[in-house]
Amino acid sequence: MSEDITKSTNQARRDDDREAELAAERYIITPPIDIHETDEGLVLRADLPGVTKETLELQVQDNKLTLFGRVLPSVTENAKLVHQEYLIGDFLRSFILSEEVDHDRITAKLSNGVLELVLPKAQKSKPRKIQVNID
Amino acid sequence: MAIFRWGHSWDAFQDVEREVDRLLQSVNLTFQGFRFGRQYPPINLYELHDTLLLTAEVPGTRAEDLSLTISNGVLTLAAQRTDAENVSDDRFRRRERPHGSWQRSLEIPVRVREDKLTAEFDNGVLTIHLPKVAKTKPRQIPIVEGETGNAHDDS
Repeated sequence: MSEDITKSTNQARRDDDREAELAAERYIITPPIDIHETDEGLVLRADLPGVTKETLELQVQDNKLTLFGRVLPSVTENAKLVHQEYLIGDFLRSFILSEEVDHDRITAKLSNGVLELVLPKAQKSKPRKIQVNID
Repeated sequence: MAIFRWGHSWDAFQDVEREVDRLLQSVNLTFQGFRFGRQYPPINLYELHDTLLLTAEVPGTRAEDLSLTISNGVLTLAAQRTDAENVSDDRFRRRERPHGSWQRSLEIPVRVREDKLTAEFDNGVLTIHLPKVAKTKPRQIPIVEGETGNAHDDS
């Protein structure tokens, strides 16, 4: 199991490869999210029980934000599952960021299995005067 | 996609399976209906030779807000999710996460040592250790012949 973890954190691995591997071996779970507005921008919260700071990957590419959180087993391997209501798998979800969001100022916080992403609005650019030079 | 894989290259179904998985992922299903149709929080129960392990997904709950009681084989979990309290409803653009207070009672299928329960809470997952009551040997109970029985015989 520990081998898998090192594989997933290895950034050099091709994404396609990883996807194929995960689809074959582990469940992919879409986490439930809340999004609410604040005066400064948007706040996104996602339920990622079992995900730690070390097993969470957040990526912004172009205007797409992807969260991927691995869940490590919380019980030892010799424990026999006798009743199951939730699957142990990895959380994956991606979002399209609007033009308003300032990509460089996105901050993330993880506590008690909840990821909180603060997506601040981009500062409206100030009107700029253009000097006209007359020859 | 990997072009070459060690072994099982004859198994065409694996590739079909992966392709279907990949397509299904793009549907982006949330577990919303599934989650709310069931009791909250979802639990898993594991068995070890001398203990039962109960895990529950309770993200957004602080350890100090969780309450855990056991009595006569019924375990009761209760808590409140506090993290969205200060946001008014009209500010939400999307709301999929369960919220509010909850309580769930579970009947433990085997006898456990109720005074020896321990629980830990990590990253939104609650794990409860329930040590089983050790199986005792069947005890022979001596039967004494009653006096009334004798008296009846005599008459």
